[in-house]
Amino acid sequence: MATSSIAVERVESKSAPPNFMQLVPGVLLLAAVGYAGKFLEKFLNTYAKAHHWTFPNIEYVLWAIIIGLVISNLLTVPKIFQPGIATYEFWLKVGIVLLGSRFVLADMLKLGGLSLALVVVEISLSLLLMHALGRAFNLTPKLTSLLAVGSSICGVSAIIAAKGAIDADDEDSTFAIAAILALGALALFTFPLIGHALHMNDTSFGLWAGLGVDNTAEATATGALYSDAAGKVAVLAKTARNAMIGFVVLGYAIYWAKRGQAQGVGNKAAFLWNKFPKFVLGFLLMSLLVSFHTFDKGQVTSLGNLSRWAFLLTFAGVGLRTNFRQMSKQGLRPFVVGALGEVLIAILTFGLVLGANRIWGL
Amino acid sequence: MATENPASGKRFKLSLDTWAVILALALAFAVRMNLFTKIPW
Repeated sequence: MATSSIAVERVESKSAPPNFMQLVPGVLLLAAVGYAGKFLEKFLNTYAKAHHWTFPNIEYVLWAIIIGLVISNLLTVPKIFQPGIATYEFWLKVGIVLLGSRFVLADMLKLGGLSLALVVVEISLSLLLMHALGRAFNLTPKLTSLLAVGSSICGVSAIIAAKGAIDADDEDSTFAIAAILALGALALFTFPLIGHALHMNDTSFGLWAGLGVDNTAEATATGALYSDAAGKVAVLAKTARNAMIGFVVLGYAIYWAKRGQAQGVGNKAAFLWNKFPKFVLGFLLMSLLVSFHTFDKGQVTSLGNLSRWAFLLTFAGVGLRTNFRQMSKQGLRPFVVGALGEVLIAILTFGLVLGANRIWGL
Repeated sequence: MATENPASGKRFKLSLDTWAVILALALAFAVRMNLFTKIPW
């Protein structure tokens, strides 16, 4: 996971995990940036009220991302901070598991079932679409596979999982990750604007963000930027999407192995378990514990707040690891294919959510 | 992130996902045991 975090650094197959002390400076930076975002939201609201200004309420999520973006793009982040910044995905997963406490089983079954049904349609259509675009733009078949996996399921983690399974080049993986991250950063700002312009309700917007935005961190941030409730639904929909990662990667692994361009898959069940994101199980377990009244009301509030603190570190990391200068060096064609695919997937998922809203009244 | 398996003596690695679940469950357990009075936001 550490390799997936710093914007577009070359994807290395084997790197020694950092020790605990190496993580401390970066984690402290994440906390400082996240808390500065939270402080700015509160301070500006209080200041605007005291001076009778009309000032839009800009959420801490956006401030944390903006501060992170300013630091990573206008200043040079010293190397000492990099391992700790890379932990933002770890905090994201801790936050997702804890967020399970905000869903009782009935909600989980209703919204999760709906999300899963929409995810299956979304993944199938997205894979077809990305392959058609890859062929039209003459991308290499493996790069196309990586872009298809990244944009249909869950961004960087899916690309990393697929890279090993289909023996793709480091170069292709780097291209695909760069495209997915750049487009995720764009979605962060465009999705909420579109949602507000179209007066989408929280559930519809959350579903759209969870289905349409690729990387889990960006999908969570996009939902949270819209509203707290939308953030919750976005995480649920994205988690349902993440749960499919093993099946799609397995499909690709078998396809490339049959063509003699990847190692065969031995035990398919073991392969699926290996690729299955374990935090999805933690998320379900937490919901189950809350549904059986393991925690009282105050404790559930505390768990929800812990999840928000973990997400705060994630949002700071989203800004800090996005470096537009580095991304622009990665070549235009994969980016164009990714961008075209993303816009079409955004339209497609918007249509799916609209249809679900008509039928089930979200 | 590598851990010694006492049964076999073989080293096995827990994924980052698993560590995230372990930390989250440990925090939930601490909350359940009222080790934290109340987590503010």
